Amino acid sequence: MNADFLALAQMAVGGGLMGMAYALMAYGFQLTYTAGKSVNFGQGELVMLGAFIGLSLTGIGLPYWAAVPGAMVAGAALGWFVERAAVRLALQQRNEGWILLTIIVGLFGVSAAENIWGRDDKPFPVPWPEGALEFFGISVTWPELVIAAGALGMMALVELAKRYTMLGIAVQAVSADPDSAELCGIRSKSAISLSWAVSGAAAAFAGTIIAPVTTVGPTMAAALTLKAFSVAVVAGLDSGFGLVLAGIALGSAENLSGFLLGSGWREAPGLILLILALALRPQGIFGKKIIRKV
Amino acid sequence: MLFHVNLALREKTAERIMRLTLFCCLAALPMLWHGEYALGLLTLMAVYAVLLMGLDATVGYLGQINLAQAALFGLGAYGTALAIQAEVPLPLALLVGIAAALIPGAALALPALRLEGPQFALSTLSFATLSVIFLNESESVTNGALGLSIVRPSLFNIVLDSTRFYWLCLTVLFVTWWASQLLLRSRFGLAIEALRDSPTATDALGIGTLRHKALAFAWGSALAGLAGALHAINFGYLQPAAFGYDLMVILLLGVVFGGRRNQWGAFAGAAVVTMLPNLLSNRTLFSSLVTLGCLLAIAPPIRTLLSRKIPSFSQTAPVAAMAAALALALFASNVEEWRKGIFALFLFAAVVGLPDGITGAATTILRKLIRFAPDPLPVATGGIQTAKSSAGLALHASKIRKSFGGVKAVDNVTLEIMKGETHGLIGPNGSGKTTLVNLISGLYKPDSGSVEIFGVRPKPGSLMSAFSAGSARTFQNLQPFSGLTALGSIMVCQRDGGISEAMGWLHAVGLQEKARLRCSEMSYGDLRFLEIARALATRPYVLMLDEPAAGMSKPDIIRLVDLVTSIKRAGITILLIEHHQDVIAVLCDRVSVMDGGQLIALGTPDQVRRNPKVIEAYLGSDETATQAKSEMRAQPC
Amino acid sequence: MKASRFILTVLLSTSLSSVAMAADVVKIAITGPFSGGSAPMGLSMRDGAKLAISQINQNGGINVGGTKMKIELIERDDEGKNDRGALVAQEISAMGDISAVIGTVNTGIAVMGDKYYVEKGIVKIITPAAGSASMTQWSKAGTKDLPIFRFAAHDGIQAQMVVEQATRLGLKKVAILHDATNYGVSGRDDLIEQIKKQGGKLKVVAIEKFAIGDKDMTGQLIKAKVSGAQAILIWGIGPELAAVASGKEKLGFKVPMIGGWTLSMSNFIDTAGTAGNGALMPQTFIEDESIQRARPFIQAYHKAYGVAKIPSPVSAAQGYDATMLLAEAIHEAGSTKPAQIKASLENLKATVKGAIADWKKPWSKWDPSNVETHEAFRRTNTVMGKVKNGRVVLANPSEKVLLEGKKTK
Repeated sequence: MNADFLALAQMAVGGGLMGMAYALMAYGFQLTYTAGKSVNFGQGELVMLGAFIGLSLTGIGLPYWAAVPGAMVAGAALGWFVERAAVRLALQQRNEGWILLTIIVGLFGVSAAENIWGRDDKPFPVPWPEGALEFFGISVTWPELVIAAGALGMMALVELAKRYTMLGIAVQAVSADPDSAELCGIRSKSAISLSWAVSGAAAAFAGTIIAPVTTVGPTMAAALTLKAFSVAVVAGLDSGFGLVLAGIALGSAENLSGFLLGSGWREAPGLILLILALALRPQGIFGKKIIRKV
Repeated sequence: MLFHVNLALREKTAERIMRLTLFCCLAALPMLWHGEYALGLLTLMAVYAVLLMGLDATVGYLGQINLAQAALFGLGAYGTALAIQAEVPLPLALLVGIAAALIPGAALALPALRLEGPQFALSTLSFATLSVIFLNESESVTNGALGLSIVRPSLFNIVLDSTRFYWLCLTVLFVTWWASQLLLRSRFGLAIEALRDSPTATDALGIGTLRHKALAFAWGSALAGLAGALHAINFGYLQPAAFGYDLMVILLLGVVFGGRRNQWGAFAGAAVVTMLPNLLSNRTLFSSLVTLGCLLAIAPPIRTLLSRKIPSFSQTAPVAAMAAALALALFASNVEEWRKGIFALFLFAAVVGLPDGITGAATTILRKLIRFAPDPLPVATGGIQTAKSSAGLALHASKIRKSFGGVKAVDNVTLEIMKGETHGLIGPNGSGKTTLVNLISGLYKPDSGSVEIFGVRPKPGSLMSAFSAGSARTFQNLQPFSGLTALGSIMVCQRDGGISEAMGWLHAVGLQEKARLRCSEMSYGDLRFLEIARALATRPYVLMLDEPAAGMSKPDIIRLVDLVTSIKRAGITILLIEHHQDVIAVLCDRVSVMDGGQLIALGTPDQVRRNPKVIEAYLGSDETATQAKSEMRAQPC
Repeated sequence: MKASRFILTVLLSTSLSSVAMAADVVKIAITGPFSGGSAPMGLSMRDGAKLAISQINQNGGINVGGTKMKIELIERDDEGKNDRGALVAQEISAMGDISAVIGTVNTGIAVMGDKYYVEKGIVKIITPAAGSASMTQWSKAGTKDLPIFRFAAHDGIQAQMVVEQATRLGLKKVAILHDATNYGVSGRDDLIEQIKKQGGKLKVVAIEKFAIGDKDMTGQLIKAKVSGAQAILIWGIGPELAAVASGKEKLGFKVPMIGGWTLSMSNFIDTAGTAGNGALMPQTFIEDESIQRARPFIQAYHKAYGVAKIPSPVSAAQGYDATMLLAEAIHEAGSTKPAQIKASLENLKATVKGAIADWKKPWSKWDPSNVETHEAFRRTNTVMGKVKNGRVVLANPSEKVLLEGKKTK
């Protein structure tokens, strides 16, 4: 095959695989938004902390298969904490103070990470073999494949739980109409907390699958949040599988623009797309067009 | 409070004196204390104060999280730096800096200002990130990541050493402060407050949400550019990465912690932000300040506990945050390393526990300690003048249809109201009365049909357009400007006149005693009257009142009837939706009746009351009742 | 607002009080990146310097004209960021009682901040920053009297060695990868210049750039691979260097990495793992206890800081030796005044036994047309290092003699 085409294909595939991680983060947004009409502007920090905690767990001797669920448990706890500290008050007051508050909590998370684990980027050990696999001239490493498989698997798992477990159905009821759900005996506050906890666990899991490719460091958080938002806005929050497609598209676009325009321009297409999507179809992420009742 | 001081000054004058004193002290500092480093910090503080005043326009006054300010600051800085490299004289270079921020800011405003809340925050964040990328990658122009160096130019052949440049910055700050105060405490400021509380009412009363949001955002961007220009000259070296998210968070900290919607707050925030890194390196000082903060934070929950109640989250959370900050101050091996975390804790405590920032708290305490001379209100003038109306059609709604999903809310309704007429609109709940008014006033766009007000066809679905054609309205669910006073609510929307005329409108509805009362503290009945006064102040041709008597007490209803009668005498056309049939009977010339989205009757109040279709709509028909009875009898036992 | 004025007043009074302190100490400032991607170098440099200071202070201090003065240390973290570095330099030069400054790792900071020291005449020994621009900025400006010295193998030397190594390996086509900082850009320029100087035997088939924080170097590496590069000549810092190494592995692009001394950083070696093996870089110091001269320093460092491996051996050893040289200069000047210390550094009489070499008059009177007058290192006291199994070892064992008893120049 033509070397240039192969190069482009390599970049697109690598980006697409990474993009599934963005889709997983966007999925976390979907969970909290449908339940409580709020998202974590510090989601990237949860991803970073999940990765760090997973790293520490492997560091104290736990095998990978225990460290990742351990990180997810920590992520769930952190997600619950963010909801309790930063979101609940704003929801009660029916204002949007949670935007600033989740940003603040995320900031504290970065600072804590810098001091607990240091400011350097660290490699994340994985049980997969080193080296790359080749498919039609395109090299793919094991960690990259795990990102794709893990993201899809996690999203599928949560969707199944939402549809086939009592808890999941209860959360769906609260998303649809919190007042009616309360009348049926479902505590909407608990449902919202649960969705934030699951979102936190998903974020932590995303951290453990991204870290082997990018290394773990306090700076990984910031860029990721914005990418996840791009995916969520462009796909629309009730799009389910659409998130995956948008994630793959964004990841590929990033890599390709970095390749063709220079590494500094990588983020540009995602950001421009985000602004356009917000300008042309803002309800994509944050609600259907509301009919004002006066 | 423990004691009072009575001042013969008005609060406004006292504030001006304090401001003047502050600037005199700041200007005198370099002569009293020689220290390059401190002078550098003070200059930085002045620059940040300008920047924060700009940020306050969106974060404080508009109430939106603007994450683009740091990037606009950077764009202004680079603009000025490049202008200086091109040997443009200093004053012009400052203007270039302002433009370098204002133009991209305007471009951002176009999509962003239609958005609210998280969408707005996201669009500004994307813009900020894109700006930094752009600055980094445009290496041929900006020298990219390596940074841009400039030599400090002179101003009109005067060399700007540190002290002189500091005075220049102080002058700019003084002018900016004065201008911000003028802009944001004027009617413009009232409008911005109003659009936060009720964008719908703001548009319906012709104030124009988009216009004001755009101006406020433009003001904020211009100040960011100006601050950037000063920063470029001050520092002499610019790097794109310095204008990223880290700086933006620090700016938010400054504005929120200092105090929103307040120029003093922006100044205090700038001081905190500039001094904080130095404060952090002096551990004893820092620990003492944090301890002070803890004590201040713990006072409200203790007071609540003492009155045997459980403290709320807004009271306990700041204590937790300040306690964490104290723990860090005392036990962390390197407090500097926790800089971001400490900012976060302070910011959290401020957002949750001290929403008005330290200046807000200080102002509250000062107001309790000092009794200022009252601000006198002028005598009321104007009000409702008797006038004669001309002849002809005031309002012509023709074959209006509107469906929501499958529900036909308004089904082929035609309504004609003559000039000077008071026309009632009645019908059972859900018959589409309010929807019809919403369609006429421009809140909704009709699916088909047209609306003509005094011969003009406003743009469908546009509140502002309907307003320009001459309509004004009140709302079934109150839409007060909760943050404004009654007087402010009138002043923000009145078509002409000043305070006396505004007092006149309040007098007309009987609210002149409550002119200085905040809407959030007014009673329900008063707010209903205030809505009418608001609408009147815009001098409408057609006034639409949507259930003005709802929930009113009997004496208030009598007042209402008198009020509407005097509005009638002023020749204003009125469309009145009401459930109180006695009010309708007294006030209305003709009445239209709606049921299930359709117009079922039209006539005088008397005619309509006797119309069998109307009775059936309200009470149900005899036939169905008889049928039910016979069905019951037919059942075998 | 009253609150801010209060804070300002308190701040002023406390900082005034700290100026009071007096007498028998020599104040030295150490600045560098103690956090961020360059931190291993900054921290090692600082720790090496502190080791020297603690040894000197244990012996009572420096003998300054008859009085024994201990060294008091002020540390400042410039975070590897240019604007922070400039602020730090401003702060230190405003302090008024600093005799000398040691440090700086990032060339950009030397470019931005050192002017404050030159303004106040404060002595600074730059170590381990290697970018040529740190010193050439002064020869370009034609500065007559310069208190800035450098104690590191500058990029002119390093680029020369890198090109020599590539030629020695018989390579014909190379790709140059560099980061977007002053260090990377000037490194690229030095490489291109050296290739030309050495007869143009190497053909540069690709020049690619990356930014600090970039994790995915696939794009740049594909372009290098496609253009047929047989080696990657690289100028960057630890985390990004590691990304290049792992990217190379992923693409099966098994060519040698030869580059600046930053390839010896622990955050490159640890993060790259086996992918980093075989990377070649110039070194002034190898952490190898079999080298007689180096052993006491290595052992003292390990003991003092409880580590088995120095994060950046070159930074640590240079920090140590620079401090020793400074102490000697202060002693010979008989004064703590920067002007006299500067004169003394330009004309060091005694031979200083360091961890790297025996130093005999490493610097001479500043001549703007000859940057080497304030450069301590020459080609002859720099060797090639190689990454092997998590450590840096001598690439050419024959060069061991250079590190043993040899003196400078």
